[in-house]
Amino acid sequence: MKDVHVDEWLIDHVRGDLDPADRARVDAHVAACDDCRASRDRFAALMTELARTAPAPPPIHWGAYRAELRERLERRTTGPGPLWAWLVRPLPALAAAGLVAVLVLAGLPPAVRTSDPIALDNTILATQLDMIARLDVVQQLDLLEDFNVIGELDELPEPQKS
Amino acid sequence: MESSDEQLCRAVAEREPGAFDLLVERYQERAYRIAWSVLRDREDARDCSQEAFIRLHESAGSFAGQSKFSTWFYRILVNCCLDQQRRRRGWRRLVGWRDQRADGPDEPDPVEQAPAPFLDPVEGMDTERRMTKVWALVDELSPQQRAAVTLSCREGLATKDIAAVLNVSEATVRVHLHRALSTLRRRLGDEG
Repeated sequence: MKDVHVDEWLIDHVRGDLDPADRARVDAHVAACDDCRASRDRFAALMTELARTAPAPPPIHWGAYRAELRERLERRTTGPGPLWAWLVRPLPALAAAGLVAVLVLAGLPPAVRTSDPIALDNTILATQLDMIARLDVVQQLDLLEDFNVIGELDELPEPQKS
Repeated sequence: MESSDEQLCRAVAEREPGAFDLLVERYQERAYRIAWSVLRDREDARDCSQEAFIRLHESAGSFAGQSKFSTWFYRILVNCCLDQQRRRRGWRRLVGWRDQRADGPDEPDPVEQAPAPFLDPVEGMDTERRMTKVWALVDELSPQQRAAVTLSCREGLATKDIAAVLNVSEATVRVHLHRALSTLRRRLGDEG
């Protein structure tokens, strides 16, 4: 009798989501089959529990959410803008130039030369982020510190000869 | 009279001022909740739900009105979430460490912190523990199954609407739901 069981229709049966013909077929089977009837009741109990106990997502501030959405939408619809626009915004241009300089000077991103998975993750993530367009992200990086290091490269002590 | 979602969507396509904001206000909580149910990460849910609204803005003109607006929009949203999940999984596979969810510096979510499920039916557990356990088990389902369970049990979508959202047949939705709920029953020790 297994081949005539209606397992996969039981959930829709519980939800009242069957057309009349399928519903009549499942009704008839369930009335005669103890296994399917018990299974349907357990599905019904579980679905009730899932609906009742669904956890709420962490709260967020909807005003900030909509403001961020508007900003993203505006960025997407206006695009990155012409190249000259960067010239009148020295800080992002400087930050971008600094980032490029650091990467070029280093040859490879430091994280690539280490086995530290977190550093590697940060580096690769950085390449995924649209950092140039996202000034707020770029500003949070330790670029100023990098500039200092670059600016003082010639002041580093000579390596000691053994 | 209040505009329907479908009318607002057409207004968005025609770039009528205010229409997009109205739709966002109507759907922001549902969009974020569904995204979070699938992704279980606040920032990802925020990002994906916003991305879905942006795609809605870009493609409102392609909404043909043959389905409900909500079904059409949920499809965009769930696609964003599944894409995000694929990227996240592929990314973690690339760098070679195990799937670890982090929800920022806030308090860890109790559902996210719940221990891995085992065949350990606990008699008489209180409602809160049971709730935590049930939804922790939902987290362990495949993304498609989790989406089907969320849309069905939480959002109350009909099978044909879930099929449209997930872009699969109704039969496939039935299989997803049946397998998902059977797995949950088995892991909860509810098998008779």
